[in-house]
Amino acid sequence: MLSYVSSRVLQTVAVLLVISFIAFLLVQNLGDPLAILLPPDATLAQRDALVRALHLNQPIVARFFSFVVDMLHGNFGISYRTQEPVAKLIAERFPATAELAFVSLLITIVIGIPAGVYCGVRPRSWMARAIMFTSIAGVTLPNFVVGVVLIAVFSVRLGWLPSFGRGATVNLGFWTTGLLTRSGWESIILPAIALSTFQVTFVIRLLRTQLMEVGRSEHIRFARARGLPDRRIWYVYAIKNTLLPVITIMGLQLGNIIAFSVVTENVFAWPGLGTLFLQSIQAADIPVIAVYLIFVGAVFMVINLAVELSYPLIDPRILKRTS
Amino acid sequence: MLDVRGLTVTLPTETVGITALDGISFDVKPGEVLGIVGESGAGKSIAGAAIIDLLVPPLKRTAGAITLAGERIDHLDAQAMRKVRGRRIGYVFQDPMTSLNPVLTVGRQLIDTMRAHLDITRGMARRKAAEWLDRVGLPNPRETLARYPHELSGGMRQRVVIALALCADPVLLIADEPTTALDVSVQAHILQLLRDLHEESGISMILITHDLGVVSKMADRVAVFYAGRVAEISTVTELFEDPRHPYAEGLLQATPRPSLTGRGHVIQQIPGVMPALGKIPGGCAFHPRCSRASEACRTRVPELREEGGRSYSCFHPIGGKAQ
Repeated sequence: MLSYVSSRVLQTVAVLLVISFIAFLLVQNLGDPLAILLPPDATLAQRDALVRALHLNQPIVARFFSFVVDMLHGNFGISYRTQEPVAKLIAERFPATAELAFVSLLITIVIGIPAGVYCGVRPRSWMARAIMFTSIAGVTLPNFVVGVVLIAVFSVRLGWLPSFGRGATVNLGFWTTGLLTRSGWESIILPAIALSTFQVTFVIRLLRTQLMEVGRSEHIRFARARGLPDRRIWYVYAIKNTLLPVITIMGLQLGNIIAFSVVTENVFAWPGLGTLFLQSIQAADIPVIAVYLIFVGAVFMVINLAVELSYPLIDPRILKRTS
Repeated sequence: MLDVRGLTVTLPTETVGITALDGISFDVKPGEVLGIVGESGAGKSIAGAAIIDLLVPPLKRTAGAITLAGERIDHLDAQAMRKVRGRRIGYVFQDPMTSLNPVLTVGRQLIDTMRAHLDITRGMARRKAAEWLDRVGLPNPRETLARYPHELSGGMRQRVVIALALCADPVLLIADEPTTALDVSVQAHILQLLRDLHEESGISMILITHDLGVVSKMADRVAVFYAGRVAEISTVTELFEDPRHPYAEGLLQATPRPSLTGRGHVIQQIPGVMPALGKIPGGCAFHPRCSRASEACRTRVPELREEGGRSYSCFHPIGGKAQ
């Protein structure tokens, strides 16, 4: 177990270093930070001071090293666009995106898993056929189309829910949350649904296929031959055998939501990381883009790590295979 | 104990139903071990699965009466049937590598099975589970409870399977090729275990096998299956010394007997092969391969007739009265 955990953690760190290096090269090679950060009438002394502060006078390996050390100290550089620390920009926007991702993951779990189990257990029932039919729409329709349709129906026509923004937020000091106010919840429902349509349908289809396959296996037949109740057979004996791919996909999807909810955030004017990313691209704000890339990489890697560390809890054979 | 009359199983196809079991009848007396032998495809396993209504779709039971201890069990609803499986009839599957759930511990599977049928607490079930592992000859029963199937050898797994089949105290055990998937040295141990358990508890048993050697060691009576029908039912001694049905005789002659002088001993083959499902000829299914076949064998199906405590379906039995 210990060797499994440490090998996964080491892999994660290695990949993060590679991502950081790519982002670092981006910062180093695109644009001229001196031209952007220095006023036009700067003296040579000011220029030299800035060169030293940014470590521009050092070899590339040393600069990468200090880039990483800076990041470990929470110093992510300064935005060209707003002249604010990048860390602060991201920290301000992250709660909005994280909460959106969390709520849409919740929707995915609450709807996707029971529906997927139902379709896998009774693939021939008319309900399952209806779910599968509608789920084609969920897989094929792009998020932004779903978002626009939701806005048109629930905000414009019915006027039930707001079409943009986050509603009122509460500042907890380290985190600003919209989940403690009524308007916050009202605001998050539509974008969360839009963002989750794909995942819900994906989880349904994945679970259904997996369960239909596991349902044919000999150990499920033996469980039936021993007279175990159906609920126990499906929700414990069968589902536990399908969890590895389902959790893997949900983890990747959660990463996707956090990293690339750009389009959905834009449709709903959601003040999250996606919107920040779009603004930074428009302004060629290289430090923000670079740190955003590293951040996204880190999010993916951390989620993946968590998923991989959960594998042995689900399927004890994993440890045997890797050792 | 168990009485099966006219059991018919069909495989529905687009146009017609193919008959997989054609009106099979046999019975198992209290405390008796009935062997069911025949080539693969003769319908032995289908008969076993049909008894507990666990046929692999699209196979369907279309006729027949099954009576267990005086009670009809062929028309029970799903809930009542669940209480027969495991509780009244235990079932051992062929391959211990696939019949245990790979992601649940041995103890969990035993405890769940007992708690599905017996009104006992988790703690009591746990104690009984350890007792069962001890009874089937597994070392360190308490530690083995926490083991996963992949941590056990094939022979140990089959012992666990047997414990699972017996742990809710059924009155009948159906063992479907319980040793076929095991190493020869392990086979003897498992057979010995089944015999010991049978002698301890006096449970009735159906032993499905293609191995006449196994039958001769274990069974009291034998039912010989051929192409979905019963060819002959006799006691082991009768069958081995004085078979009635030409197929039973052919099967005996085709079985190599281990002996020191036996090298060069000619193994007689039955000419031809058993017909596949849906290609069973009219009349007696065995007639194309039978040296005694007459016109009657080609046109009429011989019924299973009783004579002196044994039954056979043949117009021209060896050493018996012609039908």
